[in-house]
Amino acid sequence: MRPLDWLVLVGSLTSIIAYGLYRGRGSNTVDRYLLAGKTMPWYAMALSIMATQASAITFISTTGQSYVDGMRFVQFYFGMPLAMVALSATAVPIFHRAKVYTAYEYLENRFDAKTRALASFIFLMQRGLSVGLTFYAPAIVLSVIFGWPDRLTTLVIGITVVIYTVTGGIRTVTWTDVQQMLIILFGLIVALVTIILLLPRQVSFVDAMHLAGAAGKLNAVTFNVDWNDRYNLWSGLIGGMFLALSYFGCDQSQVQRYLTGKSIAQSKLSLLFTAMAKIPMQFFILFIGAMVFVFYIFEPPPLVFQRTENQRIQRPELAPRYQPLAARYQDALEQRKQAALAFVDARHRRDQENETGALMRYRQAQLKVDAARQQGAALVEASGGEKGFRDTNYIFLSFVTRYLPSGIVGLVIAVILAATMSSSSGEINSLATVSVVDIYRRHYRRDAADHHYVTASRIATAFWGAYAVAFAGFGNRLGSLIEAVNWVGSLFYGSLLGVFALAFFFKQVKGTAAFCGVLAGEAAIFAAFLFTHISFLWYNVIGCLVVIATALALTAVSPRASRTPDGSL
Amino acid sequence: MPPDLHEMPDEPPPFLGAWPRVYVAVVAYLAALITLCYLFTRAFA
Repeated sequence: MRPLDWLVLVGSLTSIIAYGLYRGRGSNTVDRYLLAGKTMPWYAMALSIMATQASAITFISTTGQSYVDGMRFVQFYFGMPLAMVALSATAVPIFHRAKVYTAYEYLENRFDAKTRALASFIFLMQRGLSVGLTFYAPAIVLSVIFGWPDRLTTLVIGITVVIYTVTGGIRTVTWTDVQQMLIILFGLIVALVTIILLLPRQVSFVDAMHLAGAAGKLNAVTFNVDWNDRYNLWSGLIGGMFLALSYFGCDQSQVQRYLTGKSIAQSKLSLLFTAMAKIPMQFFILFIGAMVFVFYIFEPPPLVFQRTENQRIQRPELAPRYQPLAARYQDALEQRKQAALAFVDARHRRDQENETGALMRYRQAQLKVDAARQQGAALVEASGGEKGFRDTNYIFLSFVTRYLPSGIVGLVIAVILAATMSSSSGEINSLATVSVVDIYRRHYRRDAADHHYVTASRIATAFWGAYAVAFAGFGNRLGSLIEAVNWVGSLFYGSLLGVFALAFFFKQVKGTAAFCGVLAGEAAIFAAFLFTHISFLWYNVIGCLVVIATALALTAVSPRASRTPDGSL
Repeated sequence: MPPDLHEMPDEPPPFLGAWPRVYVAVVAYLAALITLCYLFTRAFA
């Protein structure tokens, strides 16, 4: 990091705090603090939803994912527009008209207090686990790349987020999300243009796409049918739709965004705009990863992108294993580079025969590069590194710090910190809202003055901020739990989706049947998790269907399950 | 007291006249995106 990078980074963070404090003025009633007085326009909500959903690890990891596995991850988002249409037609008008602060509050209106409490508990547990890691994940990557202490990084981000979130509530969160999203988009465009400009003169943009495609990095659509395969067209459309339904329909961190809308129409537009913008945006981020791959065809990449692990496997005692591997790797890289240059040359001369031959050599060399990298990862494990080691999260930042010019590095780091802040502020704000509205106000102080709940919300926000920073401080002891937290979400979303589907579409189902349905749904999801290899995207489908089937069965066989809490049918 | 579910009207969208038409447009947009992604994959495979 050079002085210009620091200037860009500090300037970005300062502007976020200043803008957040400016926008948060007047958030002095519960309605304004938690729902922005229902004054938000659709574009602010849409950008806020996108910013909350896009965490730092999305940018760090997605680009690396594309470098390693190609662009097929984009299919994960294909189900989102279908989900957004369904939510716009159902959940948005229902939540708005019910005049609720949280999605779970609606469940008490529709079912009973215990179903609301169960859903709130599931949300607090799942989102509470992930909020600490939202801070920790980028901090540990920045720690490895720059040597910054990860606790100091989480503390700086945490204090920044807490200052503006406590002060202005949801209004500040939404407007700073907008600002952060604009920084993110600008940073990504600058990063892509810079990468393309760094390619060798004789390699055009179209050549670069052919080289990425020939190595399987532009595989945006794959049709293979495999239940264990996370990313193909079918899992993306069906599993992705159920995941998006769960996330945007049942997770308070998202629901609260569109509850701030001026009207039902504005909230619907925000969701539909998000649906339309998200796929191109993810495509763009993945494409950056594919272009980083092409860049590294002409500049030799390290065997392992994580610097500390790359140094570990070069220790003298590992030389008998490392040196032959490094030699094979360098040889494969050189073969790949020469084949790529020959391919580009033949393409420019329209020499079909040589083009085909060069392409075959290029692909064979790529296989050797991949094999050497796998052996490098195995060597990391064998030398005491993390089990199942992958350096995906380090590829993009390693490239950024080594090759991007001064100022752009600061901008990319600002993008990553802005993404962390936008995700965590939304999470903290929603955790505080559920804590106050669904727990504190519902079970402890039902009739206090409005100002009392504003103060309680500020305290809850500060609590969840402090909790997140403290939890992130133990991140280095969590190891592979970072990955586990991704699973935690999918372990609970299906049941939440099921209970909301019951609430919206099955009028005959009452509280007890819904409550038992959620428990049965959870049992089914955990059984799938523990005893099968089904991809986690399908858990939402399984959980949702089991909740509905169980509640309907109970309603059919048990008159008690069909009764309302006061005993009437 | 349960809220009045008809108190907040569902006004029409600013374009295309009715929400079902907007939904169809979004689904058509998705189909177009998937087709473009497929053509992109094939063009550079």
